[in-house]
Amino acid sequence: MKNSYKENIKKIVTRWEFVLFMVLVAEFVIFGAVNFQKFMRITSIFSSINNYISICIISLFVTFVMITGGIDIQASSIVGLTSIIIGVLWSDAGLNIWVAVLMAIVTAGLCGALSGFLVAYCNVQPMVVTLGGSFLFSGLALLISGFSETPAFKGISGFPGKNEAGEFIAFRALGKFKLFDVIPIQIIIYVLLIALCYWLLHRSKYGRKVFLVGVNRQAAEYSGINAKWIIMSTYILTGIGAAIAGVLLTANVNSAKYNLGSTFTLSIITAVVLGGTLSTGGKGSIIGTALAAIAICILRYGLPLCFGVSTQNLDLPIGIMLVLVVSARELAANQRVSTFFRGLLKRS
Amino acid sequence: MSLLKKLSRARWLSSLIFLIVLFTITGLVNPTFFTYSNILSAFNSSVVFTLLAVGISFVIMTGEIDVSIGATMGLAAAIAGTIAQRGGSVVEMLIYAVLLGLVVGAINGVGVAIIKVPSLIFTLGIMGIVRGFVYVYSDGRTVENFAGAFTNLGSKELFADITVYYSMVIVIVLVAHILLTRTRNGKNFIAVGDNIGGATLIGIPVVWTKISAYMLCGVFAAVAGVAFASKYGQVNIVAGSGYEMSAIAACVLGGVSLSGGLGSALGAAIGAVIMSSISRMLVFIGLSSDYDNTIKGIMLITIVVADALMHTRSVEKARRARLAARASNHNSAEVGSSDEE
Repeated sequence: MKNSYKENIKKIVTRWEFVLFMVLVAEFVIFGAVNFQKFMRITSIFSSINNYISICIISLFVTFVMITGGIDIQASSIVGLTSIIIGVLWSDAGLNIWVAVLMAIVTAGLCGALSGFLVAYCNVQPMVVTLGGSFLFSGLALLISGFSETPAFKGISGFPGKNEAGEFIAFRALGKFKLFDVIPIQIIIYVLLIALCYWLLHRSKYGRKVFLVGVNRQAAEYSGINAKWIIMSTYILTGIGAAIAGVLLTANVNSAKYNLGSTFTLSIITAVVLGGTLSTGGKGSIIGTALAAIAICILRYGLPLCFGVSTQNLDLPIGIMLVLVVSARELAANQRVSTFFRGLLKRS
Repeated sequence: MSLLKKLSRARWLSSLIFLIVLFTITGLVNPTFFTYSNILSAFNSSVVFTLLAVGISFVIMTGEIDVSIGATMGLAAAIAGTIAQRGGSVVEMLIYAVLLGLVVGAINGVGVAIIKVPSLIFTLGIMGIVRGFVYVYSDGRTVENFAGAFTNLGSKELFADITVYYSMVIVIVLVAHILLTRTRNGKNFIAVGDNIGGATLIGIPVVWTKISAYMLCGVFAAVAGVAFASKYGQVNIVAGSGYEMSAIAACVLGGVSLSGGLGSALGAAIGAVIMSSISRMLVFIGLSSDYDNTIKGIMLITIVVADALMHTRSVEKARRARLAARASNHNSAEVGSSDEE
């Protein structure tokens, strides 16, 4: 029995999620050692994750797309689109805020469906379609903001949901509510979404189909899977994910703007890739993506706090991390390099 | 092959026709558009995009992608800006720009071709690093207050209202086009992108071709940075972010296939003119520039979908023709052997 125990350990240690977990632990140890007092304040850690919650949420769904072998660079423009739709429908069309939210989410799903349809049924490259989508949807968001009386650059503000006692209720609660005054609602929703996506990808029939389509689309089709529909559905999911992020962001900053989230694209892709998802499809995990996204958040939070790195210059460390990690992973998988290192070990 | 047939196969030609159609529509809606200077300024103002698009077209032709060009451009622009501040010459800027482009391109190339990291991801990381260097180099401040001679250069006209920059760009694009279509090394880019296994088997240096594509791309992006600094007269730390996406879109509009092996430098240049003159045309048509991105998006999606549908159709047609030929062979010879499929 001892042997299998050892093997189990080895299995866990060599998993990518474990590496990510160790990175996360290392971040906590290093940052904590440098500046324990400031770094370890739970509320500020939570609020830092809160700043990047959109990236965390969207990257979960983009994982699905990447596993089917696609890529989605339009999600960040859907964030702005949902935000402005909520704003215009609520403030200028006078709809109930929840109806506005629902319609925004449905629109985002349709946006995803459009791109997904073109990718799956017309065989256009996902990168080009979603590139066009990112232009189209950010453009539409700007046009929709033209329907509002508020000038586009200002953002529609003053959403409902603050009672006399100063507590946030209704829509604003989605942005400001804190459980036990500590855990922000965004974190709770994020955890729920992780659980949902984990079940969907790793425990459900749908998830198995997503993987099979990514590994070998033709084989999937021959075994009776509607590959086209599966591919299209992943884009719809990403659209809805982006919409959820857009709703949370709008509620949090209390402002509906057409260009919310426009800079997220590359961070989203970074999180998904760092999470161990193959950009060629067929491999990936929700836990990996979630850990990677959180690791990036903590890095962004800790570097300015503990090492005085400017918040404007956080691309540099994250770029270095991405390049080092993916290069090391490729090199480790390379037959020639690994035999070379094994030879070195034997000689010494 | 007759000239006509050859032309009908050139993908850049349909992009050129598309550009002419766009110009014609604008001119029909608003006849004041049809002046020499208006049309020429559409070309003159596309210098930065043209350089970026032609540069990245080399990489895209080999079937890879490079999203770090926006950051490379920003860094080159910041360097050019500081040189301009102390009154240095353009030659000095260009030397630095070329060196920068070669270094960034070489790193990208090694990462993609030798370490074999997927290109989108590797260049994404390099983009973050180069963007960080822009910040470190300029201390987080906007580089501005250039010597006047440098910023005037952008509007200086060489002959017939064509600016110095655009005439340089014309020469560069033509040279690149001829190199790509007429020389052995140039054709390697297309060959590698079309069929990497086949290219390896017939002895094309695949790794070196990819690395040189990235180096060319970097050099073009860095030179675009010099043009950028001269055009806008100031460089902030996010200068050029998002330009990579527009450059890729320009390539697609110019008939460069993102799966590699198809396209030309000329096409990329035409695509860049389309991309950069949309907002100008919107003004003439009377729409606000708010429609800019929507129209770009619709255009891009329509073109690639049409292209993909035509491609699927031609593949299907070729397959049918092959099957039909096989069937008729089978009938006439009455060979009992079955199809190898």
